[in-house]
Amino acid sequence: MISDRVKSNLQYAFWESFLPKLGMILLVTIVLMAVFAPLIATHDPTRTGHFNEDGAQYPPLGFEYTSEIATGGEIVEITVESTNEHILGTNKIGQDVFSRFVYGARVSLLVGIFGVVLALIIGVPFGLIAGYYGGHIDDGLMRMADIMLAFPSLVLALALIGVFGQQPIRVPDPIVKAGLAEGMPETIPIPGAVIIVVALVTWVWFARVARGEALSLRNAEYVKAARSFGTSNRTILFKHVLPNSLTPIIVLATIQIAVIILTEASLAYLGFSGTTLSWGFEIKQGQSVLRTRPWVAMVPGIGIVLSVISVNLLGDWFRDALDPNIEGGERGG
Amino acid sequence: MQDWRSVKRRKVLKATLGTSATMGLAALAGCTGDDDGDGTEDSDDTGDDGTGDSDDTGDDGTGDSDDTGDDNMSDLDEITITLSQFPDTQDPLDHITGDYFDVFDHIYEPLFDFEPGEGIFSRVVTDWEAQGDGTTHLTIPDDVSFHNGDTLTAEDIAWTINRTVDPDMGVASPIGAFGLGSIQGAEAVDETTVSVEYSAAPGLAEFEFGNYARAMNRQWAIDNFDAENEAIAGSSPDVFNGTGPYEVVDFTSGEEIVLEAFDDYWGEEPPFDRVTFNADKQSSGRAASLEAGETDLTINILPEDVATINNASGVEVRQVTSFRTVFCPMKNTVEPYDSQEFRQAINYAVDNEAIVQNVLSGFGEPVGQPVAPGINGYAPDIEPYEQDVGMAESLVSESGYGGVEITLTAPQGRYLNDANVAQTAADMIDQLENVSCEANIVEFPVVSDENSFGLDPDDIVHPFFMIGWGTITGDADYGTQGFFTNPDGNNTPVFRDDELEQAILDSQQMQDPEERTQQLQQVMQLAHEKAPWLYLHVQESIYGVNEQIQWEPREDETVYIWDMSA
Amino acid sequence: MSMPKFLLRRTLQGIFVIWGVVTVLFVLRAVSPGDPATLMLGEGANQELIQQVRAEEGLNDPIFVQYADYITDLVTGDLGYSWRSNREVEAMVIERIPATLELSIAATIVAISIAVPMGVISATRREQLSDYGATLFSLLGISTPNFWLGLMLILVLGVWVGIFPTGRRAVGFGEALMTLVGTGSPGELLTWLEYIALPALTLGTYFTALITRLTRSGMIDELGKPYVKATQAKGLPLVLTRYKHVLRNTMIPIITVLGLQMGTLMGGAVITETVFNWPGLGQRFVDALGIRDWPLMQGIILFVAISFVVINIVVDALYTYLDPQVSVE
Repeated sequence: MISDRVKSNLQYAFWESFLPKLGMILLVTIVLMAVFAPLIATHDPTRTGHFNEDGAQYPPLGFEYTSEIATGGEIVEITVESTNEHILGTNKIGQDVFSRFVYGARVSLLVGIFGVVLALIIGVPFGLIAGYYGGHIDDGLMRMADIMLAFPSLVLALALIGVFGQQPIRVPDPIVKAGLAEGMPETIPIPGAVIIVVALVTWVWFARVARGEALSLRNAEYVKAARSFGTSNRTILFKHVLPNSLTPIIVLATIQIAVIILTEASLAYLGFSGTTLSWGFEIKQGQSVLRTRPWVAMVPGIGIVLSVISVNLLGDWFRDALDPNIEGGERGG
Repeated sequence: MQDWRSVKRRKVLKATLGTSATMGLAALAGCTGDDDGDGTEDSDDTGDDGTGDSDDTGDDGTGDSDDTGDDNMSDLDEITITLSQFPDTQDPLDHITGDYFDVFDHIYEPLFDFEPGEGIFSRVVTDWEAQGDGTTHLTIPDDVSFHNGDTLTAEDIAWTINRTVDPDMGVASPIGAFGLGSIQGAEAVDETTVSVEYSAAPGLAEFEFGNYARAMNRQWAIDNFDAENEAIAGSSPDVFNGTGPYEVVDFTSGEEIVLEAFDDYWGEEPPFDRVTFNADKQSSGRAASLEAGETDLTINILPEDVATINNASGVEVRQVTSFRTVFCPMKNTVEPYDSQEFRQAINYAVDNEAIVQNVLSGFGEPVGQPVAPGINGYAPDIEPYEQDVGMAESLVSESGYGGVEITLTAPQGRYLNDANVAQTAADMIDQLENVSCEANIVEFPVVSDENSFGLDPDDIVHPFFMIGWGTITGDADYGTQGFFTNPDGNNTPVFRDDELEQAILDSQQMQDPEERTQQLQQVMQLAHEKAPWLYLHVQESIYGVNEQIQWEPREDETVYIWDMSA
Repeated sequence: MSMPKFLLRRTLQGIFVIWGVVTVLFVLRAVSPGDPATLMLGEGANQELIQQVRAEEGLNDPIFVQYADYITDLVTGDLGYSWRSNREVEAMVIERIPATLELSIAATIVAISIAVPMGVISATRREQLSDYGATLFSLLGISTPNFWLGLMLILVLGVWVGIFPTGRRAVGFGEALMTLVGTGSPGELLTWLEYIALPALTLGTYFTALITRLTRSGMIDELGKPYVKATQAKGLPLVLTRYKHVLRNTMIPIITVLGLQMGTLMGGAVITETVFNWPGLGQRFVDALGIRDWPLMQGIILFVAISFVVINIVVDALYTYLDPQVSVE
C-alpha cells in the first residue's frame, strides 16, 4: 500500500530536484528504444556483411581510419571512410553498430526487470515468513543468507551458468509480427538462464529486507488486532504485512535492476550470456579491435552506463523520498 | 588436436635427402661445417630465403654467427616469446596444443627433424629401418644427456612411446590418440636400439612417430612423479627434464617459463642463451607487448593488429600461409546433417571468398576440400563451393529439411577471428529462405570435446561446429583419417561414409607414392562431393617479430628457436 | 558478551557458512551437465578408461557416499587435483593469491585515498560546484561496468595518451621488491607501478564512488548531530571536530559496507584480471570455468568464501574498536 504521504514525498522530490527528472527522461528513452527497436533500428542487427568495397568495416559518421589488408601476398594500407548508411559504423563482421545498440537495450532491460521480478518472487515470501514466524525458520533463513553472501555474486552466477546452460528462449517480436517493421529479426532472444541465475544470486537481499520489515510489523498494533479477530496468519501476511513492507522493497528492487544490468553485461562480456544481441557481448567483440576500431566497444558501453545511471537516479529518488534504511546489494560488474 | 604441429626441420638435410635417411648423428654434427656450402641454398623454395646460411638452420650458432655481418645482434642473447595460451600442464604428453609444443619441444626435443612435404630426418635418432614385420628399429647414440645428467637410453624412448599410446599408463595422452594413431607400442632391443610396432604401412607410421616421438627420462619420471600412474605436475623448474637444447631455470605456473641453453646438449649450441615464454590471450595485448619491447616474437596476430606492429619501430610482421584449414564438421548421424543435399546446401549458402576478404582482411584462402594447398594429396582441380543461394535453397527443399533451425557452435580466440567467421557463416546460412541458423560462441574445449565425442547421437551436443586442423605432416592422410575412418574402433570419426572411409583405408596400404597421391586426390574429390564439412579456408598465420631475429614462420606453425638467429 | 566469546561464536558461524558453501558447490557439481570422468580425461578418452576412472573416483557410489567422501577430503585439507593439469589445487590457488592481493590492495588504496577527501569536501560544501562534481563522479562510478571502464582506460591512457603500458604485466610485486632489496634498484618497482595503475584504477572506481557516497552522507548525518554543535560551542576548532570525531564516526558504517562488499571486489577482480590479463585468482577462475575444471573452481571459491568470512569477523571486531559505545553484539 503506497500511502498518500509517500506519494506526495515522491512528487516533491521529483519536482524539486533535477536528477530524478534526468533519470526519468533517460529511462523512458531507453525503454521506448527497447520496445520499438524494430522501428528505430536502421538495419537488421544480426545481418552481417556491411563492408565497403575493400571489405573493411565502416567507421562512425564523420570519422575515417586506416586498415591493413592482404592482397596477393602483400599487405597494403587503405583508408576507410564513413557512410550515411551506417551512422555509428559497422563492427568486425559488418553488422550495423547503431542497430545493435538499439536492440541491446532489450536484453539489458529484459534481464534487469525479469531478474528482479523473479528475485522478488523468491525472496519476499521467504523473508516475510521468516520474519513473521521467527524461530527456526528465521534462523534457517539468516544462515542461508550468510552462505549466499559468502559467494561473490558474479562468481556464483558464473558457476550457475555452467549448470543451466545458456540457450536463450526465443519469442516472436510482436512489432515485426504485426507487420510494422520489415527486414528485422522475427524473434526476441530472452536469455532465460541468465535471468534465473541473476535472480538466484539476488533474492537473498530481498529476503533480508522483507524479513526485517516483517519482524518489525509482527508486533504492530493492527497486526495484533487482526490476529485477535482470528484472521489467519496467511491473510495477515499478505493483506497487512506485505503492503506495509512495500516501500523498502521497491527501493531495493530499483537499485537491484541496476546491479543486474551490470551483472548481465559482465556475464555477456565473459561469454556466458546466451545471446549475441547484448551490449556486454558487443564490448567483448570490440575488445579485439579496440586500438584501431574503438567505436565497436565504445558505443555499447555508453548504452550500459546510461541505463544504469537512469535506474540509479530513480533509485536515489525513491530512497531520498522514502528514506527506508536498507543495505544495498552486491554489484556484479 | 587443433594444433597438430611438432618437430622441426633442418634445411641442411634436404640436400642430403638422397643419401637416405640413415644419415647419422655424426654426419649431422659434421654437417655444420659444410652445410654453409651445400645445404641451405637448395631450400629457398619454402620461403626461407634471406640471409642464406645463417638464417633458420640455427646450426651456425656455435661459432660463426659473429661473422655473418649482423650489426645489432650483440644485445640479443635473451629473447621473450609470447604465445596465446600458456601451457596448463607440465607433462609433455598431456596435451596436443600448438602453443604448448612451442614450449615443450625446446625442453623435450623431437627425436626426428621433420619437414612438411619432405619427410623426416635424423635428429636424436640417427638411423631407422623398417623390419618388414610391422616394426621399425630406431638407433640412438649413447652420449645424449638429460638435463639432470642421466644418459638417454633406448628404454627411455620405448617407455615414452608406450606412455603416449597407452591410455592406461600415466596420462590418456591426446598425442597418442590423435598423433600416434597407428603406433601400437615400442620396446628396447638393446641400449641404443628401439623397436616400434605399428599397424599401418611403414611410410605412414614414420610420419606419425617422426612427428610425435619424444624422449622422457623413465627412471626420473617414475621416481619423482609416479609417472606411470599420473601426469607429471608441479610448480618448480625441476618438473621438466628432457634432452633438448634448453633447460628450464625458472617456472611460474600460468605466467612464464624461462629456459637457458643446456651446457651438455649433444647438438649445436642454440642461438640465444636465455629464452622466456609467456602468454597473452588477446592479440592486441601481444601486439602491445611487442610494441613496448617486452617481447621479441609473438604468434597469432589478428589482421587488425598488423597496423600496431607495422607502426612500431624495430619490429615487423611476418606471415605464412599455414597448413591449417578451418572448417565446420556436420555429424551425419544427426538430422538434418544426414542428408548430403542439405550438407551441400550449407556449402553453397556460405560465401567463403567474402569471409576471407572481409572478416580475415584477405589473410586466408578459400578451400573446397579437407586439406590445404601444398599438402600431398591436395587436388588443385577442386574449386571451393561458390556461393549460390538459389541452388542452396532448392537443395534444402530436396533434402526435405526445409524450415529447419540449426546452430553453428564455434570457439572464440582460437583461430584467426574464429567467432567472427562463424557468426558471418551462420548469418549467410540464415539468409536462406528455408533455414534459420545461429552462431553459438563457446570456449574452445567445448568444440574440441565435440570433435572427439564421435558419432553416437547420444553424445552429440553440437552436431555442427567449427574447428581448425593443421595437417602438419604434409600428407592428406593426416587431415582425413581421424575424421572419416574408424579402423580399430579407437578413433572417433565425426562423419561416417563407407565409400569415403574405404578410399582412405585403401590409400593407407599403397606403397607407391604416385599411386597413393592419386588415391588421396580421389579422397579429396569424394570429400568435396559428400560435403561432410562446411569448407571455409586455409588461414594465414601472422607473427610479430623483433627485426633483429632472423626467422621465417613455418607452414606447420611451429616456432623453433633453433631455426632462428640474431 | 566478552570479546573471546564473541569471536568464538562468530568462528562457529563462519564454519557453518563454509560448510554451506561447500555443500552448495557439491550440489552444483552434481547437477551440472557433463560426465566428470569424461571432463577429467578430456580429448580422446575411450569408454573403458572412462569407466575405470568413474570407479576409481567413486563416481558410481551413491550420492551421499560421494558427499561424505568429499567432506572428509576437505576437512583433511585435501582440495584434490585439477582435472586439467593434475596439479594440487591448493598450490594452484596459493600461487595466484599474491597477484590478486596486490590488485585488491592497490584498488582499495586508490579508492580510500580519493574517496574520503572527496566525500568530506562534498559534505562540507553542500550544493557547491565541488559537491555536484563529486556526486556526478560517484554516480558515474557506480554505473560503469568494470570491463568497459578498463578498456576505455587502456584506450585513452594507454593507447592515445600513451602513459601506461597495455600489455601483460612485466613484473610482479614480489619480484620487484626482491630486486629493490637485492640490487637497490627501484626500476622494477616503478615498472610494477606502471602496470598496476590502470587495473587498480579500474577495480577501485566502484569503491571510490561507493565510499564517496557513504562518506558524504555519513558526514552530513554526523554534522547535524547535537554533539557537533556542542563541541563547537565549547570552542573546539571546527577542523578537529570535523576530522577527528565526525570522520571517525562516519568510518564505522563504511568499514561494515566494505566488508560486505568483499564479494564485489572479488567479482570485480575476475573481470579486471580478464581485461588486463592479470595473473591472479580471477583469471584462473575464468580459465577453470571455461574448461569446467571443477576441483580448481571449487578451490578458488572456497578460498574466497573463507576470506570473506574472516574479513567480516575482523570487520565486526574493528567495529567495536572504532565505536566503543557499541559493545560486541
